[in-house]
Amino acid sequence: MVKEIERAGIPVVHMCTVVPISLTVGANRIVPTIAIPHPLGDPKLDPKEEKDLRRKLVEKALAALETEVSGQTVFE
Amino acid sequence: MRLELGHVLIKDVQFGSETKIENGVLFVNKEELVKLISEDEHLASVDVEIAKPGESIRITPVKDVVEPRVKVEGPGGIFPGVLSKVQTVGTGKTNVLKGCAVMTTGKIVGFQEGIVDMTGPAAEYTPFSQTNNVVLICEPVEGLKQHDHEKAVRFAGFKAAAYLAESAKTLTPDTVEVFETLPLLEGISRYPDLPKVGYVLMLQTQGLLHDTYVYGVDAKQIVPTLIYPTEIMDGAIVSGNCVSACDKNTTYHQINNPVIHDLYNQHGKTINFVGVIITNENVYLADKERSSDWTAKIAEYLGLDGVIISQEGFGNPDTDLVMNCRKIEEKTIKTVIITDEYAGRDGSSQSLADADVAADAVVTGGNANEILVLPPMDKVIGSLEYIDTIAGGFDGSLGEDGTITIEIQAITGATNEMGFNKMSAKGF
Repeated sequence: MVKEIERAGIPVVHMCTVVPISLTVGANRIVPTIAIPHPLGDPKLDPKEEKDLRRKLVEKALAALETEVSGQTVFE
Repeated sequence: MRLELGHVLIKDVQFGSETKIENGVLFVNKEELVKLISEDEHLASVDVEIAKPGESIRITPVKDVVEPRVKVEGPGGIFPGVLSKVQTVGTGKTNVLKGCAVMTTGKIVGFQEGIVDMTGPAAEYTPFSQTNNVVLICEPVEGLKQHDHEKAVRFAGFKAAAYLAESAKTLTPDTVEVFETLPLLEGISRYPDLPKVGYVLMLQTQGLLHDTYVYGVDAKQIVPTLIYPTEIMDGAIVSGNCVSACDKNTTYHQINNPVIHDLYNQHGKTINFVGVIITNENVYLADKERSSDWTAKIAEYLGLDGVIISQEGFGNPDTDLVMNCRKIEEKTIKTVIITDEYAGRDGSSQSLADADVAADAVVTGGNANEILVLPPMDKVIGSLEYIDTIAGGFDGSLGEDGTITIEIQAITGATNEMGFNKMSAKGF
């Protein structure tokens, strides 16, 4: 899906936990996430902390979208 | 560490007034067994049925399969840290009820449970159509949490296996196999000219009902470590897991690990089998990185020339598999990986979720997405109500007459990644 959307000329950020798979399939902008069962959250946190975590991840993804890349890039 | 496995061959299982073995027939006192398993307050009801090879019986949803074993000599007991007290096992003598298995079913625990047919086309895909099965039907009390349900059924299988195996404790086995692994330096100097080969055994540990236990420790909390192969034969590793039926390692698979048996078979002839490294398959990337770093580090530390790696499950564990392979190869140690494939129903999709050029020696257990039609059976142990929703099933899998059209993913052990099945493929 990442590759097909990019083929249509729209940049994509792949938010995922298993970064090596994302690299293997050829995503260009990769934002690492928390864990496979809960990529964008963390059940160990209280609701406020978790909301902060989610916001930071989304902001990081939006920033990655605006960043020029010359090859596969992981935004740690 | 030296273990003698005494095989007491079980040709038939019948209910009887006393649990005992006579002339290869296991008699089971049903009432006594039901009473023992019913002691768990998490179980509302327990029933026991027998299923033999060739009978028109379908068992589903199958959770775990356990081979009855009993310690005859040597420290510890079977399933240490789980059923027996924590004590290092793997030495002395152990008797095995060969040809017999305990199977657990009842209300489904997790959607990734399986089907075992005792005859017909699906019987070809599961090794448990060839065993005389004592099937426990365990129904949980109302409102029981899923994790407690899993634990209760898991323990029911172990308790029943231990109960049955006790009847073989004083018997003289029909055949005896001896397995021995020497302390590392001694073992390595014994065969200085043979290549030193180790085995990386990957354990399913994704949590959410995908767990494996080592001496009672939840294996997602371990770092990779060494274990004598004979410890595994005494039940040091048990399954608590509801990952897809075709490629999960039941407790039966763990204690009968064919990779270990084959490595022992070649030990001193073509290779020097040094030992087993166990590792996990966790859901955090940092865990995957750490564990694969450690398997490579231990393989290097042991001075291995070659490593066999077996996976459990599929999907993101493909990454653990490929990381183990790549990092061990980077130490200039040769690897062979054992996996299975999810290549689509026509077999034309990418087989694994991850790949690397280092993975150039691969053994496959088959394509789990292949479709099979299972004709109805005369008797069902368990329930057909989950057929459409178990992994491998789909809307309409269960026909009105009991025919099942399903991916072989749903058949227990069909594409096992220890090679405890009949399928594979050869590339030219």
